[in-house]
Amino acid sequence: MFNDHASPRVPSPIGRREALRRLAQVSVALAASACTPARYVLHLYPEDLDRSDAGDRILSAFARTVIPGAPVDDASLFRALKDSALPFHRYAGFFAADLDERAQRQFRRGFAQLGSEHRVAVVEGGLHADRTTCRLYEGAIFLTQIAYFSGIYDAERGCPLIDFDGCYRFRGLEATTFPDPDRFLARSVSLDGNPA
Amino acid sequence: MRTVRTDVLIIGSGFGAAAPALRLAEAGLRVVLVEKGPHLDPGKDFRMTQDPHYYTRYLKSLSSERIGLTYAENLGGGSAFYEMASIRAPSAAFEQVDQNGRRLWPADVDRRALDPYYGVAEGMLHVEQIAPDQVPKNGLLFAKMMQNLGYSCERAPYAVRHCIGAGFCVAGCPFGAKQSLLLNYLPQAVAAGASIETDLEALEIEALEGVRDGPVAGTMAAHPYRYVVRCRRTTGARERLSVETKVLVVAAGTVGTAKLLLRSRRGLPLLSHQVGHNVAFNGSVKVAGLMPDSMPEGDLFAGRSHAGMISYEFLRSHGITIAAMKPLPLQIMASARLTLEGEPASTYWGEAHVGIMRQCRRRLMVFVALGMTPPTGRIVAAGNGFRAEVDLDDDLRRYYAETRDIMHSILRRNGCRVLDATYVDRDGAAHRDLHITSAHQVGSCRMATSKRDGVVDSDGAVFDYPGLYVSDGAAIPSSLAVNTAQTILANAERIAEGIVGRYAKPVGPVLAVQ
Repeated sequence: MFNDHASPRVPSPIGRREALRRLAQVSVALAASACTPARYVLHLYPEDLDRSDAGDRILSAFARTVIPGAPVDDASLFRALKDSALPFHRYAGFFAADLDERAQRQFRRGFAQLGSEHRVAVVEGGLHADRTTCRLYEGAIFLTQIAYFSGIYDAERGCPLIDFDGCYRFRGLEATTFPDPDRFLARSVSLDGNPA
Repeated sequence: MRTVRTDVLIIGSGFGAAAPALRLAEAGLRVVLVEKGPHLDPGKDFRMTQDPHYYTRYLKSLSSERIGLTYAENLGGGSAFYEMASIRAPSAAFEQVDQNGRRLWPADVDRRALDPYYGVAEGMLHVEQIAPDQVPKNGLLFAKMMQNLGYSCERAPYAVRHCIGAGFCVAGCPFGAKQSLLLNYLPQAVAAGASIETDLEALEIEALEGVRDGPVAGTMAAHPYRYVVRCRRTTGARERLSVETKVLVVAAGTVGTAKLLLRSRRGLPLLSHQVGHNVAFNGSVKVAGLMPDSMPEGDLFAGRSHAGMISYEFLRSHGITIAAMKPLPLQIMASARLTLEGEPASTYWGEAHVGIMRQCRRRLMVFVALGMTPPTGRIVAAGNGFRAEVDLDDDLRRYYAETRDIMHSILRRNGCRVLDATYVDRDGAAHRDLHITSAHQVGSCRMATSKRDGVVDSDGAVFDYPGLYVSDGAAIPSSLAVNTAQTILANAERIAEGIVGRYAKPVGPVLAVQ
């Protein structure tokens, strides 16, 4: 009846309306902020933090602050913060710079060089800063937690830290339910699970 | 723009659409079903994953600061992503009244009237009460907690066949055990002659001239084309086309149907002003706690997504049912910051939080209550789009507080340590006030006895528009306190039977299908 529905999905370019919307967002952010958010919008931070090992070390240290006990060498630990499929990647460079700058200001050392207690203090500082910065830190924590605990980049591995083994592994019925299940059951008020 | 003509056009492909598609095609009518979302093949497209990218591809949300409504946009609608709990709504749900004491449901629609149609739907989806040796461990532990306190608990009915306990029910069961509509109604509708088109969005409906002329019953050949639906491909060159139809069934879901009818006001000027109003959201409340060592230790990640047990103990007294939820990391993290009761709220990250997450698999118990909250939500036009709204009055706040307290009490009296939950938005920021979330929204174009109170009559027929029907969750006038899927499907079967009786040569009662 209809014959061309199998056409491949093509990415649509940013239209004029979207461009205006983004421009408006930037303008609003600039107008509403005097310091940190403006720096972030204007990308006034060392560019190499967007692509260097230094930036990665900071983000890794941040992720291990949020999730203590996560392995240092786990590449998936902060991957979500730089994942181009997720909106946060645009802010990752600024975020790393902000962490480092706060660390320098508070403890005269880079964020990645700090011990865990000091790193916690720096992150708390970000959460208690202006509203935009707070949202940025909240978003970074949320994304790190959701990606790592859910094992989104390796469904086979899941998240060993919390004993979540990700993808399906059939462990047999004994893993699924308890033996002699009747001893757990409470009294029932229906014959078929559908009380009138 | 191309124009296509058909006897019956059905918009949507979920629980409200599948039954009319099948029954009207079986009755020999030319049926076209259009779905905005993509085609889904259970064996190929369903995933065993916790990757949020997968869910967000199909699950959409309409939200505001106070309420968020989740719905599916794909072939099969919500049936591809539901937990398969297939429960008949209790009689009490049909007896709810509004603030003036008037019954929310039309007088001729209640549990007794729907029971035969529930039976048909259950037969189609192979619904069976879960056997005791299939109940997952978290369901049994929940049942044990209720047993400890002398409360009742039911083994829930499920739309599942040959379950192997893989546990990825919500993401879609690639083993074919989950009875989504992709395995029954929709292929049977195609076999009966229906045509299904995915990636085709219905943009607007317009009544054709003479919409009220012609018979309102009799064989289809005597009826004029009454409606034109303007559609657009969601892929490729976004081709536009029109479909002219004699009978139009709108079943795009509670959100989708309201949005479409609101967009169609110009072409359907006589529509009730209740379109988009009266959204009931099934008052979902979640709490969590850490079980004591005295409870048996079990793998709470294993087994079906829904815990298999549901308690009606507080239905009469508080209008709620309570069940347990699987504490999977993605679901926990995406909805709330969990902190130990009494600890500072700031411990939602760091050492203390990892400690909680480590207990997800063995000790974390999550309860969810569904309740008969009033239909106070709205879907309204906002700028170029739509938003969901709700008034948070004192009664609603009291409902949420009391429901939470009941469930906390059950946890505490079983020796659990209660976890505080701060709910978060999609960016992980805390909601500063009560925020309602629902995937069980109904009622945006509800059934009523008059146009003043609702959008459709008890047959699902839109007031003042012959041949135009709403057969999905949008027509359901109240919260149900249980999962809504089975009631939407049963009601759609009932409405479909009425349409067949009005427009097709009788082919035997629908109920004979069982």
